[in-house]
Amino acid sequence: MSRELRGTPAAPGVAIAAPWVHRPPQSDAPASVSLAEATEIAAAEVGVLASRLRDRGREAEAEILDAQCLMATDPVLHEAAEELIANGADSAMAIVEAGEAVAASFEAIGDEILAARGADVRDITTRIARIMTGAAPPRLERRSVVVAADLPPSVTVELDRALLAGIALEGGSRTAHAAILSRSLGIPAVVGVRGLCKAAAAAAELAVDGDAGIVYLDPDAAVSAGLARTAEAARQRVDLDARFATVALATADGHRVTCAANIGEPADAAAAFGAGAEAIGLFRTEFAFAGRRTAPDEMVQAAAYAEVLRAAGGAEVVFRLADIGGDKPIAYLPLEPEANPFLGVRAIRLAQRHPDLLPTQLRAILRASLVAGQRASIMAPMVADDEDLDLVLDLVADACAAVPDAPVPRVGIMVEVPSAVLLADRLAPRVEFMSIGTNDLTQYLLAADRSNAALAARQDPLHPVVLRAIARVVEAAHEAPGCDVAVCGEMAGDPAGAQLLVGIGVDELSMDPRAIGAVKRAVGARTLPELVALVASVEQLRSAAEVRAAVETAS
Amino acid sequence: MPDAEVEIRNPSGLHARPAAAFVRAAAVFAADVTVTNLTRDSARSASAKSVLGVMGLAVARGHRIRIAAEGSDADDAVTRLTELVDSGLGEAIDGE
Repeated sequence: MSRELRGTPAAPGVAIAAPWVHRPPQSDAPASVSLAEATEIAAAEVGVLASRLRDRGREAEAEILDAQCLMATDPVLHEAAEELIANGADSAMAIVEAGEAVAASFEAIGDEILAARGADVRDITTRIARIMTGAAPPRLERRSVVVAADLPPSVTVELDRALLAGIALEGGSRTAHAAILSRSLGIPAVVGVRGLCKAAAAAAELAVDGDAGIVYLDPDAAVSAGLARTAEAARQRVDLDARFATVALATADGHRVTCAANIGEPADAAAAFGAGAEAIGLFRTEFAFAGRRTAPDEMVQAAAYAEVLRAAGGAEVVFRLADIGGDKPIAYLPLEPEANPFLGVRAIRLAQRHPDLLPTQLRAILRASLVAGQRASIMAPMVADDEDLDLVLDLVADACAAVPDAPVPRVGIMVEVPSAVLLADRLAPRVEFMSIGTNDLTQYLLAADRSNAALAARQDPLHPVVLRAIARVVEAAHEAPGCDVAVCGEMAGDPAGAQLLVGIGVDELSMDPRAIGAVKRAVGARTLPELVALVASVEQLRSAAEVRAAVETAS
Repeated sequence: MPDAEVEIRNPSGLHARPAAAFVRAAAVFAADVTVTNLTRDSARSASAKSVLGVMGLAVARGHRIRIAAEGSDADDAVTRLTELVDSGLGEAIDGE
């Protein structure tokens, strides 16, 4: 018989699946890994999770995990743990207890923000202890509704998204980390459900209604049918998109555009090709630098890069040179804190202060290219003018001289700084491709900080001024011999954005692999003349919202 | 031992992102740098290189802190960190 428990709606959507009860790992098992080593591994793991969020454009959520990286090595935590160990405590227990003491002291202050930081301390120390005892990370075996007293932020990101159907928490509020993350990841969630953990343990199936804030235990036929209808409509849309994933990216009248994927880790490459990508249009290489104590040497980097080239099996892979800046902590690259990291010394601007960074990375890419027997494409971020491009071309030439047997790379630039848009006619003849980063370009053109939630409405790349900038770059590139234009920002993975980009004349769309089906379906539904006319019809509109409404009405 | 006092004007105090920015900045100096929340408890100090220590001082908007340093680059550390706090630690603050 169906029973229902009421809580607070935290993330919309419906999910029906078996419950999977998350319990914090036991830290009383004997430690097999040292505290120092486990700390380093934990910081690296959380760094990877942060970059995964950043890849999805989840800057604010990624910062939660950045803070955890910093906490992992905190002297206060480690001094407290060492003291407990000196008094005879087991080392894994000691770090958990030290974290608990810090969290409790934060909670005692009676400030909501600080209390949430306490949860972060528990999250990272639990992770360190889990690594020390050699326990397996939390893992879903089948499609599940995750049930917990509270779900730490890093665990929410770590669980396999394909199997994570819904979240139901006994504790928490709408503003808890887990709730924010589930909304941003699109996972239906209900929080603050009293008596949930005990009740769910005995249930075979749970239904989560994230809109109404209800958890059904063993839902009966009528409840399931009602929820299923809602879920089915949403699923049909997803299935339809999935059927389009393997077709070519083309308009209804056969105009072909290259469908590429954005990835942030070598392991993502194979899945991207499986999801219907023909190339890797943006391989973010920051993963190689994050969460480490020392700089990755040339060979370590080369091994990781070769993995992607091999997975590509001859298809193009665009390596974006490290886009590191004052907003991301890199332990071995002391960066001056800046009032405006997005306008600061980042990406290729680091070349002067850290003269080994880019040459090492370039040699590693060429070495990988040599080993894999495949040409690499190299893309420089934050190129603002001719002098920046001079620097990049010089560095690439030096690297080619150092690895003379490697295939000569294709060299291109990321167009994200407004000056590069205005100079596109001068830059295009000097490169083989340009890839427009619409996320940063939008923030710079409209002077709206991406990480400031209050300005979220100003971050929509469908703004007419962004379309105008893209058209200008496309025109300049196509006038230059042999220069292609791609778009690798989130706009390329937005069906409405993709339709406009194809209408403007972009040669390649590079997107999150999960967006491929929906984009192919949207572009395939229209002919090229229709999309060209659509672009012309929105030119005179005044806001991103007007453009979006016009594109959606036309579809 | 050089020190300086400065008022925190960040909307959420030295709790989240600004605390991390402050600690990352302090880490570049060789000197031992300590922070005291004068408004809350002038008898309690924390290392400026510990994010948990700094957060634990519960520095809210409007609180005054003292930054003190000891070591080879102590003067530089106090000057630079004070300037950084004054400029909002990368966040928009009143008057800008």
